[in-house]
Amino acid sequence: MSEKGGKGSSLLSKGSLKGKDDSATKSSKGRRVQFSKEGPFESGITSTGSPASGGKGEFNKGGKGDKVANGKANASKSPSDPGIDQKLPENIKCIMDCEAADILHGIQEQMVMLSRDSTIKIPISFDKGLHYASSNSKYSDSESVRRVLQPLKGQGFSDNEICMIANMCPETVDEVFALVPSVKDKGSTTQVLQDSLHQLSKLKQF
Amino acid sequence: MFFHIVLERNMQLHPRYFGRNLRDNLVSKLMKDVEGTCSGRHGFVVAVTGIENIGKGLIRDGTGFVTFPVKYQCVVFRPFKGEILEAVVTMVNKMGFFAEAGPVQIFVSNHLIPDDMEFQSGDMPNYTTSDGSVKIQKDSEVRLKIMGTRVDATEIFCIGTIKDDFLGVINDPATA
Repeated sequence: MSEKGGKGSSLLSKGSLKGKDDSATKSSKGRRVQFSKEGPFESGITSTGSPASGGKGEFNKGGKGDKVANGKANASKSPSDPGIDQKLPENIKCIMDCEAADILHGIQEQMVMLSRDSTIKIPISFDKGLHYASSNSKYSDSESVRRVLQPLKGQGFSDNEICMIANMCPETVDEVFALVPSVKDKGSTTQVLQDSLHQLSKLKQF
Repeated sequence: MFFHIVLERNMQLHPRYFGRNLRDNLVSKLMKDVEGTCSGRHGFVVAVTGIENIGKGLIRDGTGFVTFPVKYQCVVFRPFKGEILEAVVTMVNKMGFFAEAGPVQIFVSNHLIPDDMEFQSGDMPNYTTSDGSVKIQKDSEVRLKIMGTRVDATEIFCIGTIKDDFLGVINDPATA
């Protein structure tokens, strides 16, 4: 990690994140370091929704230059940059943590049979993903959660926003607006959102 | 955040795997090759959930290998800028703290930690508020927002913040 931090801080100290010049962002090994700017919520979660902290260049990865990075932070990625593709590919469906936990639990049972083959090793990311999904899964029944949040879809909420609300299990509408700024622009949704949150809180398992 | 996605991959199979169990061998090889990998576009491939289609094999010139186009469904985990995540703190130092959310590592710089929290060194380094009511230490659960992501060959690394509203410690193991 310190090695990564060292590279990060040296890049920052060169002021390489200021402009659109991608060549300046290359590390000494010729590897491009990209900070993705776009999110999956094309209408929504952008840096405008974040407070000033986003503009301070505080991307120190445990590196030295804590006072260096007061300049511009975000590496503005040019649209033609082939490094990190920010757009989601097609055929992609956002799933909630509880749904992911159900899927991964089902696969885990199959994995037990597959593990008899010594050449197949269960990857670490599967264990971590399963543990994360299970521990973050706040609901006993993922289908009920989907049903409860279905009215939000009619209000123009995207799948990604609905999944984020389900994963966070917010208590108030203010919390939703603070954490998912893109939903503020959805017109008169406060009452529908409040009702959905109320229903959601009933499904929460402790 | 988790996604369920359909991907396509060209799988090369050695002739020794042909025969009655060709499909099973192909699926096993797919799972070995794909599960646990990471890409900038899709994130971590956590698990293959099903096979949609296996196309016709094409024998490669000069070798006996056959290439099969395989369409498969999988669960991937990919963080995005602006996403709110709950992560577990793995390490705390004076520059900030590291946390883990699934297979993804997140670093929160001390600049993105609220100003009223100060670093306390010792056996169990932590960030604590002036009144001692809130503490961030190893194994604490925190809610954070992703500020940026970086993709390496085998992992995704993120920068996060807890300086916004409704972010911060969810569960402190010391008081649990």
